Order: sequence, then structure tokens, then C-alpha cells
Amino acid sequence: MTFFRSHILVSIDPECQAKGAYQIIDALNDELVAQGLIGEVQVLETSRIGDPAAYGPDIMVYPEGVHYVKLTKDDIHNLVKEHFLKGRAVEKFLVEQAAKSDDELGPPKPKEVRVVLRNCGVIDPCNIEDYIAVDGYMALAKSISELTPEEVIDTVLKSGLRGRGGAGFPTGRKWQFASGSKGSPKYIICNADEGDPGAFMNRRVLESDPHAVIEGMAIAAYAIGSSQGYIYCRAEYPEAVRTLRIAIKQAREFGLLGSNILGSDFSFDLEVRMGAGAFVCGEETALMASIEGKRGEPRTRPPFPAVKGLWNQPTNINNVETYATVPQVILKGAEWFASMGTEHSKGTKTFALAGDVNNTGLIEVPMGITLREIIFEVGGGIKNGKNFKAIQTGGPMGGCLPASDLDLPVDYESLSQAGSMMGSGGMIVMDEETCMVDIARFFMEFTQEESCGKCVPCRVGTRRLLEILTDICDGKGKAGDIETLEMLCKQIKQDSLCGLGQGAPNPVESTLKHFRDEYEAHIFEKRCPAKVCRAMIRYEILEDACTGCTVCARNCPVDAITGERRQTHTIDPDMCVRCGICLQVCNFNAVTIN
Amino acid sequence: MVNITIDEKKVQVPEGTTVLRAAEQAEIHIPTLCDHPALTPFGGCRLCLVEVQGARTLQTSCTLPVTENMVVTTDNDRIREARKFVLTLLFSERNHFCPYCQVSGGDCELQNAAYEQDMTHWPLQPNWKTFDVDASHEYFILEQSRCILCRRCVRACGELVGNFTLGVEERGADSSIVADLGTPLGESSCISCGVCVQVCPTGALIDRRSAYLGHDVELDKTETICVGCSVGCGIEVYSRDNHLVRIEGNWDATVNRGVLCKTGRYLPLDAENQDRVYTPMVRKDGKLKAATWNDAIKTIADQFKKSPKSAAMVPTRLPAESLHLFKQLFKDQLQAATVTSIEEGLNTKLPTQLAAELGSPFEGALEEIEKSDCVLVLGADLAKDHEVVGFFIKRILPLGMELIWAGSDNNAFEQQAHQVLKPKAESYADLLQALNAALVDKPCAEFAKNAGVEESAVKKAAQMLSKANFPAIVYGEDLLKNASMNTLKALVELGHLSGTIGEQRNALVSVKGKANSMAAAQYGLDQPFNISDEQAVFIALGDDCPSQKLIKRLEKAPFLVVQASYSSQLTAQADVVLPVENWAEQDGSYLNLEGQLQNAVKSMPAPEGVLSNAAVFEKLAAALGYKLDSTGWKDNLLKQIPVSAILD
Ligand SMILES: Cc1cc2nc3c(=O)[nH]c(=O)nc-3n(C[C@H](O)[C@H](O)[C@H](O)COP(=O)(O)O)c2cc1C
Ligand code: SF4
Ligand code: SF4
Ligand code: SF4
Ligand code: FES
Repeated sequence: MTFFRSHILVSIDPECQAKGAYQIIDALNDELVAQGLIGEVQVLETSRIGDPAAYGPDIMVYPEGVHYVKLTKDDIHNLVKEHFLKGRAVEKFLVEQAAKSDDELGPPKPKEVRVVLRNCGVIDPCNIEDYIAVDGYMALAKSISELTPEEVIDTVLKSGLRGRGGAGFPTGRKWQFASGSKGSPKYIICNADEGDPGAFMNRRVLESDPHAVIEGMAIAAYAIGSSQGYIYCRAEYPEAVRTLRIAIKQAREFGLLGSNILGSDFSFDLEVRMGAGAFVCGEETALMASIEGKRGEPRTRPPFPAVKGLWNQPTNINNVETYATVPQVILKGAEWFASMGTEHSKGTKTFALAGDVNNTGLIEVPMGITLREIIFEVGGGIKNGKNFKAIQTGGPMGGCLPASDLDLPVDYESLSQAGSMMGSGGMIVMDEETCMVDIARFFMEFTQEESCGKCVPCRVGTRRLLEILTDICDGKGKAGDIETLEMLCKQIKQDSLCGLGQGAPNPVESTLKHFRDEYEAHIFEKRCPAKVCRAMIRYEILEDACTGCTVCARNCPVDAITGERRQTHTIDPDMCVRCGICLQVCNFNAVTIN
Repeated sequence: MVNITIDEKKVQVPEGTTVLRAAEQAEIHIPTLCDHPALTPFGGCRLCLVEVQGARTLQTSCTLPVTENMVVTTDNDRIREARKFVLTLLFSERNHFCPYCQVSGGDCELQNAAYEQDMTHWPLQPNWKTFDVDASHEYFILEQSRCILCRRCVRACGELVGNFTLGVEERGADSSIVADLGTPLGESSCISCGVCVQVCPTGALIDRRSAYLGHDVELDKTETICVGCSVGCGIEVYSRDNHLVRIEGNWDATVNRGVLCKTGRYLPLDAENQDRVYTPMVRKDGKLKAATWNDAIKTIADQFKKSPKSAAMVPTRLPAESLHLFKQLFKDQLQAATVTSIEEGLNTKLPTQLAAELGSPFEGALEEIEKSDCVLVLGADLAKDHEVVGFFIKRILPLGMELIWAGSDNNAFEQQAHQVLKPKAESYADLLQALNAALVDKPCAEFAKNAGVEESAVKKAAQMLSKANFPAIVYGEDLLKNASMNTLKALVELGHLSGTIGEQRNALVSVKGKANSMAAAQYGLDQPFNISDEQAVFIALGDDCPSQKLIKRLEKAPFLVVQASYSSQLTAQADVVLPVENWAEQDGSYLNLEGQLQNAVKSMPAPEGVLSNAAVFEKLAAALGYKLDSTGWKDNLLKQIPVSAILD
């Protein structure tokens, strides 16, 4: 057997082929012969390395793992000479640094621990070998060959892993139910609907480390005795769907999906289903109805999916992040995972940090970290040196927590006790210039728009809530509104069918609790303390600061500003439409809001 | 069995029962809106919320299955507050300011629920939007303002009728009920069965005819059966001051379990628009003139006595008792040359003969259809007649039932069929032989060719039948039209080969004809009606509509008697017209297509001077000097029917 010191993998993705991949292969072989390296270096074909549109045709050189991109056959002579004879990488063809910069996910920040995100941006998601090189599919192999399904479930139970999709149900317990449920076939579903506005944790994992999700699903399938799985992916995530399809294909080719996986009698295969585009389709029973081709609406539970799920068969449904965590739990052990986090919330959690914070983007932190640490250490503090006002966690059904809650540990129980929730991991930081009534109205606008309409409390109740909040923001609030809001919140939470209705009042309830004075100011003084609600603000020009430059008057779209050149200008409040253009254009900070 | 406690009462119910049904069993009332016993639980309105010990939130009793030792509370402050809240929201959603039920507590379940919760006003300011009223349908109106989106109509249309016309458009607060993704009802795929109207709890779907003609408490209600066809669906007739107001399906009737078709629900109301015949009439000097019963009967008796050759015909819509009298009068006593029914035995003669030959019934019960996983429809237009049988098939299609449709006409079922077989006219026998050959893996190409059907289609159909665990066959008029005994025998063979007829079950069903189609055949009223030189003809039309063909055939009859409820072209042609009761005014027995002997109950009195069909036959017999036996009808009825009779 010949021993090669190096292998060159050439991507023969159709697009690379069109760009001359085979000419590259021929040129490589010719050059290796010409330079006497043919016995030492082997040229191989591979399905795909990087994004062929950006990089094709590209090659990967092992064992160095050097990725050369955008090659033409004329480059090969030099490349072979430099890399293999002289032993130096050719800078010119390396992936440019710029393309690697990532505004979603930067290098780990202080206090971050990357478990779920460990491979993101590190391995090539379209190359299963990359995943295998970092112990990928070892956990599946270990499960199948060394562990009984009960032992797998036991490990997950002991690790304390809880669902990352929202409710935080212990994953091991869920698997136990599905495993103990009678009926065949059983199904495995991965919830990749990620409908929370601004959230992209799941998308990032699917795009960057799809095999971790596939491996987690396969392990779950082995544990509960299923042989068919579905990944229900949000339709707005074409890149994730594409990556997943490639990954599934590769896993099948490697015998890691399909019949008799790794030579065992365990078989499991996967299909990607595209979401129906509604937020509520992320709710598990609505999701299953949607896969079945019905209107995506939740139904009452019990029966739970573990007993009667997809097509009335026992089904286990977990979130992307939950599955992506599983392989490492199996591989590194329950104790390792349980060593991170708090008593009841173990491991790490990803969040999409957004809003008025310096470092926005994807983060992964150990459970139990405080909100303060997330905002001021991981997030680098509030933008523009302003003051912190509130943080909204848990997506559109989460609550807003004030500064007094900043030292709250981030775990399932603490967050829900404080009137918010873990949710799937949205985190919006708000500075002092935010109007909390307006924020409540904003979230209510979203949830009432996304209510499926099946049950009365959510369908009608959220609409009534929104109407009252809109009135308050429009300066039409009246005495009694706060009490009506409270009554509506309480009943909608208690009487609604699914989590959407049960959670929809949270932003209102929490802002009423922590920022009641703002509501009162709006209603009784017709004043928006944060100066956000248009109906209640006035633009005025400060006499001392105004130089009479006329720029504001010239830019006002409704000609509400009058004044002679070099004289103080004035704004007619009846004509002003509160567009704020004058404030933006004034160079002397003479325009203020009152 | 599962033991649970509801409001401190101990109840034992079968596993899978919902808390709501368990409470009903314990005679504990829980208010509901979106629930309907005939539909799958929905859990949308949230009115039925109850408290379950150990559960954090309130639970909807209509969806919650009982579990052992469950402890349920159905009434306390928390529950009442929630129920009031739900109603408050509903009243704030659309315009329920409806004077008709609001002030009186009428038939609207929403208003009634509010009264029950002691609501005196609307705590939330209503914020009504305006909606279009869809008044495009012939029989009913969709008034969106009154809709509470309970989706009973949507579920009924899909689950009970299998029509899937109604659905929901948009989501959340913008949801609304639409037909065919937004088509006006009148132009939609709606088949006017009216089941949606029957289940609607409010006035959102209202009957054009009966709306505002009285609350249920002001109406008289009679439980009887539909005589629209041989299915014999259970109905409830609502009337007021002896006027027909509305017909509803009887949820407790075993045959149809609540559903009705257009023929059963709406056509009898349309029939009311015809001119009634109130008095006997005799033709004098070329004109029909009012006469006394005695004069009219005497005129008829005289004519029939002196006519050497006469004929008599009766519709298969009359009760068995009347048919039996008719048969005695004209066949046994008068010995008229032709005595038959309007169906002329088309749907029943051959099957009856075959049953006699076999010495036993060979057809099965209707309920087998719904337990089937593959149904072959052979020459029966279930979109036109016997529609409820069609509903039974359509509604299990989504559960994975496979449909094979064989017929020579175009038919609404064709589009839904998994396999279509279109034999040439008069070639059902070949088609059946082809199927039988294919089922035993013998060559079938020749037969298929004769039938004008692709061999591959026959093979596919045979495969579907043999793969099925519970196949069923429904056959009808188009097959029997030109059939011979051999055709029918081939059909029975198909039944055996496919497993449709077996030891445990028999799922071969013939839809037959009108309500008493089978009874008429038992009395031998099944000959062809060929009149040539008959001098006197008696047509006991009853409340039937004469066909153009019949009118044409009788044009030349020298002496024509028409016994009818309504004036028609035929009565205009007659020499004597006798007024008789219509379906709603008479009692009597009907033998339905699966052999159930059912009772039609009089729901309204006949107008004065109008006699029953039976009374007219008796009167005429007396005038002719005959004596009729009014008791033996049952013995003669059940001798040789093709199905096993079900009597109760
Ligand atoms: C309105 C609504 C939307 C939801 N959307 C999602 C979602 O996008 N992704 C998700 O994983 N779970 C979502 N969930 C939670 C799921 O119902 C379910 O609890 C979850 O998929 C279970 O997975 P886990 O146990 O791994 O968390 C949603 C729930 C509700 C009520
Ligand atoms: S709570 Fe809202 S989203 Fe959930 S079922 Fe009810 S209406 Fe639909
Ligand atoms: S039309 Fe009637 S049955 Fe249909 S959803 Fe509206 S209220 Fe319910
Ligand atoms: S199927 Fe026949 S019996 Fe039933 S409602 Fe229709 S016409 Fe009447
Ligand atoms: S009756 Fe139970 S939710 Fe409507």
C-alpha cells in the first residue's frame, strides 16, 4: 500500500464543475507528475467544501487542513511548487479573512462557554468529515454499541438537560414517556420553526453544525424506538434547509442514517419539512398538524405528543438546541453537563442578544449567570453610555424585567417567577429612552397578529388588549384602563388553549408591575415619560441655542416651522406631525422634545 | 372502566370518555358552545372550563379524557369568572345585538349561555366590525356578524358530510368562515345538505325559510322518517299552526345519525309551493269540476267495472300498508292487466328473485360502509340520489379509505376516486367478470375489452379490493338497468371473492329506489308499465311529482284517474282527480334499503276533505264490492327480501 503524505480534496460540486473543477484535477495530477510528487500526494474528489458560489472551485489539503479557493488551472503550477515542494501556504488563494468575519457570532466573549456553538464557524457544515474529525457521530456510535436505550435515557435524565424550545421540560423525562408509550411507528421531530422575532440561535446551529442536530435526533430515535424523523424548519431559512439536506445526504452516504446504522439493527431516516410561515406553527401540536397537511393550529393536551403525536402516533419533539446538546451529553457524560448551571437548570444556553447593548449577536453562557453579567460583561454594557432600563427575555411572550432584577440568575424558575421566561432565547436590552407602554403595545401587536384564532380568549382578548394599549399610547387612555388590562391579562393567561395565549399577556403584565407609573403618566397626565409616544410629545426650539440658520424650516415636510434668517424659529404644534426631522437636521441641538 | 369524581359525585365511565360526557352521565350540566356530540372535540370556545385537582390551569372538559381517580369541579367562582369572561369577549367580538333571541332567550346558544351565567350587560365595550352577509345560497344565509367561530359548521361539513366546502380564512381576530377559499356559498361546492345550519349554535347560518318563524318552544316537533328515498333517514319535522317550518336530521336515528341531504331537508319545503288539491274532481263536458267523494268514487267504479282491460300504478313513496291495499284491490280482486309501481321493479325485481333462488338474503347493512377501507361504487349516482350513503363514503375518505368508482355517467364522485372504471353502456356484466377473473389471477383482458375498460385499471381495482381488509360494494340503478340474473350473480361472486360478503360481515349494499322500493317488489308491484289498449288507468300519484315520461305515456288513456296531493300536468289530464294526504299527513311503515322496518309518523293533519291513500283504496274497493284485508301487509312484506330484515 502506498503511503501518501498529503491528500488534496477537490470539490466537484456542480457549480465547481461548471467553474472548471475537473481541469483543476487534471492540472494537479499533471503538476504532481511533473514535479515528482505523484507518489507522495494524492488527489481525491469530494462533494463540496465551501460555498461554491463564493469559493468555487476550491480544494482542501490534508493533513494541514488548508483551504484554497477560487482557483484556475493556471494557478496550479505555482501552488504545487509553493505548497508541496517549498512547504509554504499560498496566501493569495487562502480564504480571505474578511469573508470569515461574522457579525452574528464573534469570538467568545468573557463568561461565554460554547457547547452548542462550539463548532459554529469552526467546521465546514457541508463536510461531514469535518464534523467527524471533531468526534462527530461518536456519541451515536457509543449509544448504539455500548448503551441500551434505557441507559441513553438515563444519561440524559441525569444530565438535567431541559428543553431549549421554551417550556424547559426535562428532556430525559420526555424521552421516557415516548419510549414507554405503546404504538408503532413512533416519530422524532425537531422543532426548527424559530418564529421569535429577532431570534436566530437555531438557524445558526442548523447552518453551521447540522450534523450535531442530526446526531442528537438519531440518538433520541434509538432511545425511544423510532425509525423516522422530521425536521420542521422555518420556510424563511432556505440556507438552513439547504445545509440540512446536504448533511442528511452525507450522513446517509456514510451509513449514519438509513437502514442498519453502523452495522447494527437500528435504522433511522430523516426528512426536512418546510414550515407554514406562521409563528404559532412552532407550538408542538400546531407543528404536527402542519406536517400532516392541516391548518397549523394547536390542539388541547392531553393527549401529549408522546402518546398521540404525529398521525396519532407516539412522537418525541424537541428543539434544535436540545438535540444539538445531546451528543456531547452522551460523549462527555451526564456529570460533565450537570457540572454547569444551577440546581435545576443545567448546562449552557444560547441567546440572541439584541437592543441597546454594545455587543449584539449570538452568545452562549452557562445557566445561572446573572442578567447583569450578560448585559455588562458579555454584552459590553449599554450603548452610547446610556442607562439600563429593562430587559425582555423569552421572545414575544416574555416579560420585561427592570434594573432591580439585574442580579437574577438566568434559569428557568427564576425567570418565570419574576414574570418572564427562558423561552427559546431572545433577549432584548432597553435603555432609558424606551417607553414601556409602547414596548408592551409592540409585543401585543405581534402576538395578536399571530394568534391562530382557534380559541376565544386569545383571539378576542389579545385584540382587546392591543386596542386599549394603542389608545393609551395615542393619548386616549382613560381611568379604568389599567384595571381592564389586568383583568384581561389574568383571564387570557388562564383560559387560553396554548402557550401563545397563555404567554401573550406577559409583556403587559410585567410592564404594569414594574413600570406602572409610566402607564399612569400616559393615562392621567397625557405624558409619555420616555418621550416616545408621538401623540404626547411636542417638538420645541430652544431660543438660546437657535441661530436662525433656517435648515429646520426648509426640511419640515409640513411647513410647521417659521422664523426669519438669524432669528429664533418656532414650531407650530398644531401643524407639527412629530416626524422628528428638525431634531435630526439641527446642527446646534436647538430642537428638543417636551 | 375509569372511576372519577365530579362535584363530589362518583362516576364510572369507559376509558377515553371526556370529562364533559362523564358529567352528562352523572347529570351534571357543563355549559358548552363549540362542542357538539356528533363532532370531534375542538376545545376552542373555552366555555366548558372546569377545575381538575392537581392541574395548574383550568381544563376544557370537552376535550379532556378521564383518568383514574380524577377529581373535577365544574362550578366555583374561578370557573364562573372564566366562563363569563369568555362570553364577554364573544359579545365584544361581533355584533350579537340580535333582538330576536336576545330579549327572549330563544334558540341561540350564545344568548342562552349568557343568561345561564347571569350576565346582564356587556362588560367590555363592543368594537364591532361590519361584515358582508352571504345571501347567495338558495336555502340558507351566512351572517358573519353572528358567528362565534366555533367551527361546528366546518367540522360538520368535513366530518359528517365529507364535503369540505366550509373552512376558515385568515387567522386570529381576522378569521372568518368561508366556502371554497372565499367563494359565495351559492356558487360554491356546497351540496345544500344543510347540516352546517343544523349544527350552528347561533344565527350565523340561518335557514331562509324558517328563520324568524318561531323559536323552538313555539313549534310542534314530530320525530319521523324521510320518505325521500330508500335510505329512510330519521328526521324531526317542525311545524307551526299546521304549516311545515323546518326539517332537521335526527341525531338519535341509527340510519343517518343526524345528517340529511337536500332531498330530505329542503325539497319537502319547496313542494309546499305547489297547488294543493282539496276536493275530488270529475271531468264533465271536457272540464274538471268539483265533485263529492261519493260521485267521484262511483264514476271510477263504473268505468273500471265496464273496462275489459285496465291498469294501475302506484309510487314507491307510499307506506307499506297502502301499497298492500293497492295490490289487493287492483291485482288480486280487480285483476287488472297491469298493476305495478312507478319504479316498475327496476331496482328490486332482480335482487328479490335472486334472494328467492338462493333461499337467503345476500345483501348487508349500511353501517358496514363506514367500517370499510375500500369501497367500490357500481352504477350508483350517490351525488344525486341516496346522497346520505354518499356522505358515509366521502367522510371516511380522509381516513385513508380507497374509493373505486364504476359507472357510465359523469359523477361528482369520479374526481375523488382512486380508481375509475367506465364501462360502455350495458356492459357491467363484462366488467364484473373482468374483476372476478382478476381477483383470482386469471386473464381478464378479454372481459375488460368487452367492457371497454383498460385491463390495467381492472387489475388495479382488483388489487385494491383484495388488499383491503374490509371492502364494501355499493350498487345501484345504472347497474340494474340492463342487468340479467347473470349480472347479479357475477356481482355476488365479486362479493365473495373480494371478501365483501363473508362469514362475519356482509358489506354488499344496494341503494334501491324510493322509500318503499323494496316493499313494492315484495307485493309484486314490479312489472313494466306497458299500456296499449287499456281502457281505464288508475294512477295513485300521492305527493309524488309525475315525470314527463309518465305524462306522455298517459296522454292517450281513455279514462284516467289520478289520486294526488298536488295539481300537476297529470291531474290536468285526468278524468277524475282524488285529493290525498302528503307524506307529512300520513302514518305508515317503510322498509328501508337495509331491511329496517321503520315507522313514518304523521306530523300534521291533512286539510279537510282530503283522505289518506289507504282510505281511498278502501272506498273504491267498497264501491266495487270487494273486501280488503288491512292486517296481512307485514307477513307478505318480509318473505323474500334480499337483505336480512331488522325489526324492532
Ligand atoms: C406559540 C408557540 C411557539 C413556539 N415556537 C417554538 C419554536 O419556534 N421552536 C421551538 O423549539 N419551540 C417552540 N415552541 C415550544 C414547543 O411547543 C415545544 O414545547 C418545544 O418544541 C419542545 O421542545 P423542547 O422540549 O426541546 O424545548 C413554541 C410554543 C408556542 C406556544
Ligand atoms: S392560545 Fe391563541 S394561538 Fe393558542 S390556540 Fe388559542 S387562539 Fe390559537
Ligand atoms: S357559522 Fe355558526 S357553526 Fe359556523 S363557526 Fe360560525 S357560529 Fe359556528
Ligand atoms: S338520503 Fe334519502 S332518506 Fe336520507 S335525507 Fe336524503 S332523501 Fe331522505
Ligand atoms: S365546549 Fe369545550 S371548549 Fe368549547
